[in-house]
Amino acid sequence: MKIKNITLIVLLGGLSLTSCKKEGCTDEAATNYSEKAKKDDGSCVYEHNHDETGTLNIEVDYKWGMAGADFNMETTLEHPMTGDELEFSTFKYYISNFKLKNENGEWWSHPESYFLVDLSEGLDNPLKIEGVPVGNYTEMTYMLGVDSTRNVSGAQDGALSVSHGMFWSWSNGYIMLKAEGTSPDSGSGSFAFHLGGFQGEYNIVTEKNVLFSSEDLVIEEDKTSAVHLIANPARLWHGSPSVSETAMIHMPGEAAQTMAVNFYENIAFDRVENN
Amino acid sequence: MSCKKEAVEVSLIKQPGHFPKPHYNFANFELNQAGIDLGKALFYDPILSFDNSISCASCHHQSAGFSDPGKSFSLGVDDSLSDRNSIGLVNLIWSPTFFWDGGVNHLELTGFAPINNVKEMKEDMNHIVDELYQDNDYRALFLRAFNEDTITAQRVLWSLAAYMATLISSESYYDRVYKGEASFNVEQDKGYKLFQRDCVSCHTEPLTSNYNFENNGLDEEFEDLGRAQITLNASDRGKFKVPTLRNITLTAPYMHDGRFNTLNEVIDHYSDGIKMSATLSNKLPEGFHYTPSEKKALIKFLETLVDPFFVQNPDFN
Repeated sequence: MKIKNITLIVLLGGLSLTSCKKEGCTDEAATNYSEKAKKDDGSCVYEHNHDETGTLNIEVDYKWGMAGADFNMETTLEHPMTGDELEFSTFKYYISNFKLKNENGEWWSHPESYFLVDLSEGLDNPLKIEGVPVGNYTEMTYMLGVDSTRNVSGAQDGALSVSHGMFWSWSNGYIMLKAEGTSPDSGSGSFAFHLGGFQGEYNIVTEKNVLFSSEDLVIEEDKTSAVHLIANPARLWHGSPSVSETAMIHMPGEAAQTMAVNFYENIAFDRVENN
Repeated sequence: MSCKKEAVEVSLIKQPGHFPKPHYNFANFELNQAGIDLGKALFYDPILSFDNSISCASCHHQSAGFSDPGKSFSLGVDDSLSDRNSIGLVNLIWSPTFFWDGGVNHLELTGFAPINNVKEMKEDMNHIVDELYQDNDYRALFLRAFNEDTITAQRVLWSLAAYMATLISSESYYDRVYKGEASFNVEQDKGYKLFQRDCVSCHTEPLTSNYNFENNGLDEEFEDLGRAQITLNASDRGKFKVPTLRNITLTAPYMHDGRFNTLNEVIDHYSDGIKMSATLSNKLPEGFHYTPSEKKALIKFLETLVDPFFVQNPDFN
């Protein structure tokens, strides 16, 4: 009888403790993993083949002008339309929200998919998308710029940290593309284009869609495949005037939109390079 | 049955029963006392400015409702002056936007604006992170607040937001009356009735702001475009955020450019000084044309919005 009483008390104690612990999914590999959960409640949900993944590299090749000359930092480039002589010291832009569609029509979203491309650190640093489920993919979508949500969600980390000089502190929003340099054609001798805008009529965020029509993208376990894109920074001036007329943009608006969207829309799919 | 741990966390920010639901929801990080303490240390530390000369508290004094008393514009690094008047920091978790033009859209980004402003603190976030990391005391504070001593710009801003979120004023005499725990004297009551008639459409009770942007008739032509600098919309020219009136007698001078030194001047403006322009608030007539006794009564009412517990709260300094 005495022993039974003790058991009961222990059980009650255990129950009340449990009720004060947060329940949820405690497996870090699950898509609904909860950092706050102390006790697993069997609710974990997993991506298909979550343990079999490979890597996708996005490799962007940079050209200059319609003749397809190579783009370079720190060398003088003549613009084919405006005739401006331009030397870039800074060329940074955001690419985000990569998604892949497999042959069964299922979409996979790259989590926390934000890249800040900085061409002053080299022209051939691929964007590494790790943890891509093994499979054959027929389509890819991504965004040029930073989606509106992250422009209004407070202090971010990683590629989106305010410490990269790509966020307007006085009128919040990401500088989604920053091109700076020198030019004898500019009155001040320099140019600085800080392009952004995530809402309303001057939104510059551009969604891109790539169909792998001639060859599927194949991701194999622990191997790396690549998707090649082509970008042409000369397109910034495709609908915009010479730096002799406009050498600076520092806020969202029509001028920023024209410049950025001309560059963004021209970025094209080149080829798939399967491992 | 409530969980004890959660109950403690919630009480870190005490939600006044007579206030609406806050706009800021603490969804991005786990608020804890260590984070608030860290934010307070940062708020009072000039390490956040370029030459380590100016802290947040240099222009936001608790005794003045976290405004910069007597200064139309505030002194930044290199003897430069800020573009606008330093706003009192109070009840920030209810505000959907920040600063006079609402250019900052999130509480966690309020700290970044003065840090990055060349006329204010003129400092680089990476430099702040490096300086903090070299300081063993700060490393310990970050460890306590985030369970790791990794210091990032995000964590600096989160900590500042955690501290600023605690700056809640809800215990003025006005609040006691609003809750039915006290009553106004005859003159305060006369002022309150005028306030309810003429002011609450913008200075909405009980927070005393609707957080919208209005042109309150200061100028016919605008030296400072205000909200239009952010929206690029001509219909926003000369509009500024409706400021809270809490601790109002302590936060002089008034308006975005600190043009009025006294509350008398402010009341005179609304009485007989409204200037016409295309974007003038439709809530403002040509002027309210107050009698001297009405002006006096309005000021007696406004004095009840001062919260002595807030300006003397030892937790804030």
